[in-house]
Amino acid sequence: MSGGTLTLGAPSPVAPRVRRRFGRMLKGCAGVFLLLALWQISVPLVGLGPYFYPAPTDVGAAFVDLVEKGILPVYLVDSMARYTAGLGIGALLGVACGVLVGLNRRASLALSPLFKFLFAIVEVAWIPIFVVWFGYGPKTIVLALIYVVFFPVLYNTLLGVRTAPQVLVNAVRSLGASRLQVLRLVILPSALPGIITGLRVGAGFAFRGLVFAEIIAAKTGIGYLIFEGTQSQQTARTIVGMIVMGLLWLGIDQFYLRPVERATIERWGLTVDAEQRR
Amino acid sequence: MLRLPALATAVLVALTLAFVASGWQGERRKLAALLPLPPQGSYAVTLAFAPERFHQVQLQDKGRVVEVRGHTVYMKDVAPPALADIAREYWVTSIAAWSGT
Repeated sequence: MSGGTLTLGAPSPVAPRVRRRFGRMLKGCAGVFLLLALWQISVPLVGLGPYFYPAPTDVGAAFVDLVEKGILPVYLVDSMARYTAGLGIGALLGVACGVLVGLNRRASLALSPLFKFLFAIVEVAWIPIFVVWFGYGPKTIVLALIYVVFFPVLYNTLLGVRTAPQVLVNAVRSLGASRLQVLRLVILPSALPGIITGLRVGAGFAFRGLVFAEIIAAKTGIGYLIFEGTQSQQTARTIVGMIVMGLLWLGIDQFYLRPVERATIERWGLTVDAEQRR
Repeated sequence: MLRLPALATAVLVALTLAFVASGWQGERRKLAALLPLPPQGSYAVTLAFAPERFHQVQLQDKGRVVEVRGHTVYMKDVAPPALADIAREYWVTSIAAWSGT
C-alpha cells in the first residue's frame, strides 16, 4: 500500500493447490454420499428388518449410542494400543533381522529357510496356539501383529541392504570407516526406502490381522465389536465397527504412512508417480 | 516434510488431554458429596442408560458388583482410587453412598 492506493499482491501459489485438494476431497465425498443415499433408498425396497439390513440412519444411531455409552472410545483406544505395539515391535525386529541376514552370510544360511517356512504360515493359524500359551487378551493379539508385520519389513529391509551400492560401501571403507559406520552411513540410508515400503505393507497386513486376532482372542477392541455386534443381533454396531476400521486405516495412511513414504521414497525419486500423487 | 504427521499427533494429544481434563472435572464433581472416602466403601453408581455387559465388566474391575437395578449398579468393596476411576468415566452420571444391604 502506497500513496493512499491499495495494491493487490500476486495471488499466493498455495491457493490453487488448496483449491485443487479441496475439489478432490469434495469429489471423494460425493461418492460416499451417493453410496449412502442409494443404501438408504434401498432399505424399504429390500424390506428386511434392521437385523439383516440396517439403514444408514440405524448405523448412525448405533454410532452415537456406542459413543454415549463409552464403548467405542475404549474399544478404539484398546485396538490402537495393540496395533501400535505390534507394528512398532514387529518393525524393529524385522529391520534388525533384515540387516543381520543381509550382512551376515552365516546368519543368512541359518535363518533364511526358517523365515521362508514361517512366512508361509498365516498369523490366524498361530492365534489358537498363542491363546493356549498366553491366554485371551492383549499379549496374544500383539504377538500375532508382530508376526504379521515382521515378514514384510524383514524381506524389504533385506532387499534394501543387499542392493546398497557397493561403490559407496567401498568408498566409505577406503576412507577408514568402521563396520558400524558403513552400516550407519551407507547401508541403512540405502535400505530406508525398502524399510518404509515394508512398513507400509506390514501396517496394512497388521490392520487386517488386528480384526482377526480381536475376533478370536479379545473381549474389547474394534474387531471384537464387529464380531459381538452380530452375536447380539445388533448388526448396525457391526457396521459401525467396519466403518470405524476403514476410517482408521484412511487416517493412518493419510496422516502417517503416506507422508513418511513421501519424505523418503518419493523424495528420492524412487517411484514413478511421485508427482501425480502430490 | 513431516508436518502432517506432527500436526495429526498434536491434534490427537490435544484431544486426549481435553478428554483427561474433563474426566478429572467429572471426578471432582461426582465425588464432592462423598468426601472423605472410607478405605473400602459401598456405592450406588448411576448411569444415563441401562448398563450393558461392557459397563458391568468395567465396574467389576473396580470392586464387587452386587446388583443392577434399572440404571443403577450397586457395588461393594470399592477403594478410593477405584472410585476415582469410576467417577472419571463420562458415562457415569452420579455416585451415591450405599448402605450395602
